[in-house]
Amino acid sequence: MQNEVELTPEAAVRAVMRDILGLSEEQVAEFTAETELFGALPELDSMAVAGLLTELEDRLDIMIEDDEVDGELFETFGNLVAFAETKVTE
Amino acid sequence: MNPVPAFVSYEFAGREELCLCAGAQSLRRILLVPPLFDEMNRMRKMLVDVMHSLEALDIGSFLPDLPGTNESFVALETVTLSDWQNAVKACAQQNDISHIASFRGGVLAVAGLPSASHWIFNPVKGATLLRTMLRTKVASDKESGFSTSVAELTSRAEANPLELAGNIVGSDLFKQLNSAGIPALAKQRIVRLDSDNKPCDGQIQGSALWLRAEPDEDPAMSAAIAQDINEWLGL
Repeated sequence: MQNEVELTPEAAVRAVMRDILGLSEEQVAEFTAETELFGALPELDSMAVAGLLTELEDRLDIMIEDDEVDGELFETFGNLVAFAETKVTE
Repeated sequence: MNPVPAFVSYEFAGREELCLCAGAQSLRRILLVPPLFDEMNRMRKMLVDVMHSLEALDIGSFLPDLPGTNESFVALETVTLSDWQNAVKACAQQNDISHIASFRGGVLAVAGLPSASHWIFNPVKGATLLRTMLRTKVASDKESGFSTSVAELTSRAEANPLELAGNIVGSDLFKQLNSAGIPALAKQRIVRLDSDNKPCDGQIQGSALWLRAEPDEDPAMSAAIAQDINEWLGL
């Protein structure tokens, strides 16, 4: 059995975005802190956002509460990574 | 041109449920237990492609409709997780199958077959599946002007049937799923995508189709799954 590999929050967010949007590793590697998400990516509807949050919880072993989720969180890739980084240090 | 898989039926709780079948005459046969809820729809084409690839490797495969899902006449809100586990067991026994491949939440429905050999693809806990569905409902309630929370919806779902992302989930099913962990089976091989960081026995390249907004396919992944199952089954 291969063991669990620790992921950085940024790597986890990148991997989840890649899985949800069906992008290649090269495409998702081009995401920067300024890359716009919600509104700019039609695949990212409310159901996809729900899946994204659950996947991040699962991959980073964190819990995300309802009141921590607002529109600003999904404005840019940078916001989402910053949020994930805060959550793993809590 | 690939032959088209055919529908056969299996009996469960005095009813006939449908089961898609390819290569039934093969000596090597496997039961495919589909993912649950929306994930089943998003991965069905991928699973049917797996069935074609298995048939080309002279492996027969059976993909049952779980009661209350797909073409089943049973109302989902009356179905429990135990029903799904007993239905999978009934389908395996009626078709004389001892090897089971389960996908995502499908692993939660294999507990009735503890001594079978299990091939498991990206397994998921019941609570994780429900959490995404509850979040989707919180978001759609918000769009309709209601303010709800995951905690509040959880208490409601534990008492009465609740519509979650288009599925009417009964309270018994909800409670059973919410506490259903990934079973530790005596004979198992866990396979995950190569992008996954969780422990596993093997990895394949492919896409997490269950996370996509729309159903999609990944023929290379389907072929890789069939190949992995082929090697796992042996001759």
